[in-house]
Amino acid sequence: MNALYLAFAYLRYHWARSLVLTLVAALILFVPVATQILLSTSERALIARGNATPLLLGSRGSQLDLMMAALYFSDERPEPVPMREVEAIWDSGLGIPIPVHAAFSSSGFRIVGTSLDYFDFRALDLSEGRGLSILGDAVIGATVASTLGKGVGDALVSSPENLFDLDGVYPLEMPIVGVLAPTNSPDDDAIFVDLKTAWVIQGIGHGHEDVVTAAQVAAGSEAVSNAAVVQYQRITEDNIESFHFHGSQDNFPTSAVIVVPNDTRAGTILKGRYLDGENPTQLIEPASVIQGLVDRIFRIKSLLDVVTTIIAIAAFAAIGLAVFLSYRLRAKEIATAVKLGAKRGMVLRLLSAETFTLLSLSTMIAAIGAAIVARNAEAWVGWLLSLGA
Amino acid sequence: MRISRSLVAASLIVFASSAAVAQDRPLVVAVNYPLQYFAERLLSDDADVVFPVPRDVDPSFWRPSIADISMIQSADLILLNGAGFATWIDRVSLPRSKVVNTSAAIEDQFIITESITHSHGDGGEHSHEGLASYTWLDPILAIAQAEAIASAIITKGVAPADDVNAQLETLIADLQALDAKAAVALDGLQDTTILTTHPRYQYFARRYDLSLASLQWEAGAMPTDADIADLETLVDQTGAQILLWEAAPPAAAIDVATSLGLQSIVFAPLAHGIEGRAFEDMLDDMLFAMSKAGADD
Repeated sequence: MNALYLAFAYLRYHWARSLVLTLVAALILFVPVATQILLSTSERALIARGNATPLLLGSRGSQLDLMMAALYFSDERPEPVPMREVEAIWDSGLGIPIPVHAAFSSSGFRIVGTSLDYFDFRALDLSEGRGLSILGDAVIGATVASTLGKGVGDALVSSPENLFDLDGVYPLEMPIVGVLAPTNSPDDDAIFVDLKTAWVIQGIGHGHEDVVTAAQVAAGSEAVSNAAVVQYQRITEDNIESFHFHGSQDNFPTSAVIVVPNDTRAGTILKGRYLDGENPTQLIEPASVIQGLVDRIFRIKSLLDVVTTIIAIAAFAAIGLAVFLSYRLRAKEIATAVKLGAKRGMVLRLLSAETFTLLSLSTMIAAIGAAIVARNAEAWVGWLLSLGA
Repeated sequence: MRISRSLVAASLIVFASSAAVAQDRPLVVAVNYPLQYFAERLLSDDADVVFPVPRDVDPSFWRPSIADISMIQSADLILLNGAGFATWIDRVSLPRSKVVNTSAAIEDQFIITESITHSHGDGGEHSHEGLASYTWLDPILAIAQAEAIASAIITKGVAPADDVNAQLETLIADLQALDAKAAVALDGLQDTTILTTHPRYQYFARRYDLSLASLQWEAGAMPTDADIADLETLVDQTGAQILLWEAAPPAAAIDVATSLGLQSIVFAPLAHGIEGRAFEDMLDDMLFAMSKAGADD
């Protein structure tokens, strides 16, 4: 007890040196632990999205592009699949198909056209407002709301896909009717609209458009959030009745289709139906695609572990050297203690108590840091992953 | 005092339990009366079947409010007629997993009506093909729709399969009986042209080999002078002697028709039902009226 008291008094007297040693040791302990927590959380988060999506139907091509577009709403644009593929799955009675149309964006966030089944499937809850009800409605993710500072009652305008759009298809103004509760998933970064609204943006469906002109914008009677937009269409109570779609809905496009099979057997039967390489559509298991990707990404983790170990050994050696040198500097002080009657064991106890106190404080700081990282890992990883998308 | 307290407590318990039961009952929404009727027949008391369109609104052109949409979205089953009936469904978000197109299996039997050509903004001209929507006026197509409803009810587990199949058998028998009755009642009307105030009866006419000529009058309203002129022209061209009214018109309108030698029959196309009358009974009444008119000719 006396040794600990004297050790603490010594460390307090030499507080600057003690503080540096404590922080360095704490960092050496904290960095590998925090890295481990973040990496395993990222791995879990990446795989969780794949695991939560049983099957994904899309045009034959890069499976990774298809998965990134449909699950992470990335910039990849897989070839669209016709809606008849969705109907074919409904008709099979083997599962629930949920179309995901992610070809457009607004203010830097992806517009995701889908059916209401998507919200049930992903268990998305509203934090404000109501769900999608009528053509043109938009429900935004939590990150979209916080980044753009928008909420229920505001509006978003889809980004024009082509500045020289000769078809006369203008961007669409979409009233925000709901904001989703945060999920730490790509859904936070999406603007959800009904699939039919996405088709209106695409120009497949249209009405007697209430077009807001550049002159109105210049006159200040109308405003746009995107400076590139000079004209856009608006679905109003007066013109909504005139909106209609051309052609057979079976030919309308969607980027991909999430398929939720009724059971394992139904999933196996469905997978069997899309094995033919000549079939223009493919049915993939996002979990296995993402596992392959994660395995590749996390091969770097073993390299990181080696680097961390080498740095830790070097840092601990540096600390050991610093402690050893401090003992050498304190040789006269130790000699005085011995002359005053302190035994060698007592001196050893004093030095051990100092080292123990330093390491205990470092461990405590590292543990607090690790706990903070663990607590916020999902949110931080979600944010980091969304940066990637 | 004690007794009255006990009674209040007991009634509260009964109220609470009945409310809980009501909440637990599945909800089925139909876009027209025939689908509501078929669903009610198939479900007996296993679910609440709602047809949300107000009586004074044409269900084809209804505009649901946000509250209506919210109620429809919360349903366990949403029964659509298909064939272009109820265009509001194209402008409303519905959960596809709960939506059932009751005419999906009979699409090859749809009647294509006139093509409408128009253009928007800078876009070129384009055409829309119209479809006759009142499929249920052909009892055989109505049977197919009832079968689709039964299948959906069973698949979604809204009611026990055995009960639904038993009810379906009875419903099919009733509709087949109605079909047989109609064939007899309308026998003899095949050689005459029948006028209608609105083009609603295409499937009915095809089923019983009737020849129809349609006007575009507003249901239940007094025809304008232009409407009457159109009617006169049509009577001259076809020699028709029967006019089917979509809804009961003012007495003066009947007089006009009578003056042109036409027998007036109110033949509601049954998109809306009539309080207290079953689907088959209403059709039966109209068949009787037509049969009588045919006999009077």
